[in-house]
Amino acid sequence: MTFELSTLFAIGVGYLIILFGIAYITEKGWIPERIVRHPFVYVLSLGVFASVWSYFAATGNAFRDGYGYLAPFIGISLAFLLSPLLLRPILNLTKTYQLSSLADLLAFRYRSPWAGTLTTLVMLLVVMPLLSLQIQAVATTVSLLAPDATQTTLAITFCLLITLFAIFFGTGKGSGRERHEGLVMTIAFESLVKLVALLAVGIFAVYQGFGSLESMEQWVRDQPELLNRIKQPAPPGTFQIMVLVFFTAAVATPQMFYMTFHENNHPRALSVASWGLPLYFLLLSLPVLPILWAGLRSGALTPMEYFPVTLGVHYDSELFTLIGFIGGMSAASGLIIVITLALSTMCLNHLILPVWQPTARQDIYRWLLWKRRVLITALIWGGFLFYYVPDDSQSIRAVSNIGLIGSLQFLPAIVALLYWPRGNKKGFMAGLAAGTAIWFVFLVLPVAAGTNYFTLGNMNTREIVALSLVCNIAIFMLISLLTRSSIEEKISADICSVDNLRRQRRAGLTAASAQEFITQLTKPLGERTATREVMQALRDLNMDKQDKRPQSLRQLRSRLEANLSGLLGPAIAHDLIDRFLPYTSISQSGSADVAAIESRIEAYRSNLSGMAADLDNLRRYHRQILMDLPLGVCSLGPEDQIVMWNHAMESLTGTSSEEAVGLHLSEIGNPWYKLLNQFRDGETAHQHKLTVTVNGSKRYISLHKAVIEKSTARRIQQDGVIILLEDLTETELLEEELAHSERLASIGRLAAGVAHEIGNPITGIACLAQNIRDETQNDELRGMARQIIEQTDRTSRIVQSLVNFAHSGAHNKSDQRQEAVVIEDCIQEAITLVSLNKKGKQMEFDVQCESKARILGDSQQLLQILVNLINNARDASPAESTITIQCERIAASVQISVSDEGSGFPEEIRDRVFEPFFTTKEPGEGTGLGLALVYSLVENLGGHIDIMNATTKQNNPGARVVLSFPCYDDPTSESLAGLQPDL
Amino acid sequence: MYIPPSTLLFLVFSYLLFLLSVEWAMQPHGAWYRPLIICFVVIAIAAWSYREQNSDEL
Repeated sequence: MTFELSTLFAIGVGYLIILFGIAYITEKGWIPERIVRHPFVYVLSLGVFASVWSYFAATGNAFRDGYGYLAPFIGISLAFLLSPLLLRPILNLTKTYQLSSLADLLAFRYRSPWAGTLTTLVMLLVVMPLLSLQIQAVATTVSLLAPDATQTTLAITFCLLITLFAIFFGTGKGSGRERHEGLVMTIAFESLVKLVALLAVGIFAVYQGFGSLESMEQWVRDQPELLNRIKQPAPPGTFQIMVLVFFTAAVATPQMFYMTFHENNHPRALSVASWGLPLYFLLLSLPVLPILWAGLRSGALTPMEYFPVTLGVHYDSELFTLIGFIGGMSAASGLIIVITLALSTMCLNHLILPVWQPTARQDIYRWLLWKRRVLITALIWGGFLFYYVPDDSQSIRAVSNIGLIGSLQFLPAIVALLYWPRGNKKGFMAGLAAGTAIWFVFLVLPVAAGTNYFTLGNMNTREIVALSLVCNIAIFMLISLLTRSSIEEKISADICSVDNLRRQRRAGLTAASAQEFITQLTKPLGERTATREVMQALRDLNMDKQDKRPQSLRQLRSRLEANLSGLLGPAIAHDLIDRFLPYTSISQSGSADVAAIESRIEAYRSNLSGMAADLDNLRRYHRQILMDLPLGVCSLGPEDQIVMWNHAMESLTGTSSEEAVGLHLSEIGNPWYKLLNQFRDGETAHQHKLTVTVNGSKRYISLHKAVIEKSTARRIQQDGVIILLEDLTETELLEEELAHSERLASIGRLAAGVAHEIGNPITGIACLAQNIRDETQNDELRGMARQIIEQTDRTSRIVQSLVNFAHSGAHNKSDQRQEAVVIEDCIQEAITLVSLNKKGKQMEFDVQCESKARILGDSQQLLQILVNLINNARDASPAESTITIQCERIAASVQISVSDEGSGFPEEIRDRVFEPFFTTKEPGEGTGLGLALVYSLVENLGGHIDIMNATTKQNNPGARVVLSFPCYDDPTSESLAGLQPDL
Repeated sequence: MYIPPSTLLFLVFSYLLFLLSVEWAMQPHGAWYRPLIICFVVIAIAAWSYREQNSDEL
């Protein structure tokens, strides 16, 4: 059975058009996001690794090596099954620092552009034969199905369509950082197609080739040689080497790195992939043996690698032949697309950008986009040339197999970057160069050139692979141990090391704001790109552009470096950031940002267990003690950076902990900066009762400090000062109030004594004066006697005031009359009493009072209060002005206010108006006891008094005295009123 | 070196399974798919071990 070339061509082109369609509708958002971002889509996209070698080569491998054909599946599955140890830490690194390839990762870890360049060159050697193998597989299957067709035409068409697809759906907007959901969806679809195709061909093999599963097993049992070959153990080490090669390939090959890390949309997807991908490969390996056996039984003469396609031909089934063909094409096309995308980024970042960079005037994104497109085209057509030029198809297959083994040379560096911080770039590059040289000279050259220029005795491939790996590891370790790592390398090693938290360095930056970042980066990137990148970094960090805290700026710098790393590669990005956003000084080795470490530990907390979790709980407990301490705690780092700011500090200063931590002390603002800075610089460790004015009110603060000595621990050499702030304001106010009360009490006692001592002589003087007035006929003498009597009356009134004042302070509440006082009646009585004094000014009274307002207490006391207040208001008001008296219920209280139209109360005397003997009246006009007495009586009645200006007028605003008492509701009167509504 | 408990669990179970089943899988007259069954069990253990694996947000 043969096919027309046009048929295969139409099927091939049709299939690729379907891929275009899937990518297009995904990019347009026509497929729901929950499907596009589903972990299973990610798992299927990782199936890109199952390329031609798994689709075609597996049957040949199964025939030669028996169960050894499972070695590649087991190798890559192991890498995913152990993902918490290898893939997840790398995923975290690549996501945080925007590393899109192994070259990026190694250049980042070993802080050397040469590391990236060397990795890219070796990777090109490893991968280019693999690319050509895919093209060859597609072309060969076509020639098997349509013997008259020219392979080259179909290979060219295939490469052309793949190039267009990769350019349109793989380069995105040109930054190289974004995920390509259309591409991921397409690759997932391809993986599904090849799985379904291979399973379908497998089922076809069982039922068409043997009739049933039992018949197949019976046939196998009847082939002892075949059975023996399958179960015979492979030569020692061969299986293990293959497992190791494919284990490494899970990380080292560009296509796997790209799909696993760059196109990962969530860490959870990797968790699903850790068992999902092995399951995928298990399903893929399931039909391999039935296909092989069915092919052998049919007596087919075609190469057994192509049984998945030719089995349909042998059993006369066009459908299954085409299913096999489509499956093979999907395996080849997916790999080519992803490899070229990954390699184009590697080549751009590590081969082109180090020698040729865009100028600030150019549109960098566009420049990068076009370079990447050119590279993709060059790589695909390079792969085509690799396929087209050699006339021996076997050598391509052999070189590509050997090529994959080359990726093993990256295993030491990958393991070391996570688990051996001591490794350095010299060791890495020397080890990689040595291992690669052995691999190339003794494995690649003999296969590619067909002759052995150099020999290593009788060593076989497996032994040479082992030797290259041992040399690589030995040289890497030896040179790393014998040479020094740079500070930058140590920092990077700390970042990459699995056991370490990523720590920011504690150093200042020359740029002091996000705007200065833009200004600095405008020089190399141009204003548009610099602004876009800085704004993007601010958005990523959810940071305000005005945030100038050193810690925030350090985070912004790190984020910018990571983002630029995704754009230009880590080496160029690091160099660029170092040159244009340098630190003011290099921080000491080990000096880390404690706040950053703490926030990292908080984020990592859910992953801690055992002793680490206990230690973390202890840390949190101690931290909580400090945070909840009723004293303000402010801990300062060595550069006066605020490290801790507890809750008491928050309420004291009004600045939250989130705002304060990370700020330089000077940025906290006055008065706190001045207070804390002076105290920090001072000699004394304690200062008592310092006065600070906060929002216009005085606060009394005691300060204590302790100096934190630098720790001897290597990792955290944190020193600084811890300052405690004790807020004594409440205590001070209480003390002042107590002193005031004491003073009033002593004045009361004095007044009582004076009144008693003066009262008797005054009475005597008054009696004598009356006698003189009544008994003498001398008018002059009588007049003088009258004056004496008037003066003694006045003196008696003053004395009486003193007595009243003294008695008011001594009232015992239990002795007080407790009656329901109708306020309206009291107000009217007070007005009547005040009006009796005909010597006073004539006033208008405006009374607005709720009739039901009552309080519980002594009506005489309230009357006295009102008389005093109305008298004061009359004295302060101009003649014939209005005194307003209001009374209203507010919630559970009654508020009485007396307002006049006088000159009001100056603010500066407000605190003193209730003090005894304080008066604003002319000498002889007032005793200064009126308001003091009122204050005392209001207290007795359980009320509160306040004084203020009645209006906001500048001239004569008037004074307003407001009294508040608890309201009294008489239940009896209310019930009666309810019964007699008409009354 | 910090090894997540789930990974440790997976390694121990898988190793024990391998020790117990390798001879059974490679018996000359055993079914051809026995090694694949072992692989499937290992994958099932992994799926169970990692079912609540939190992502490392560091």
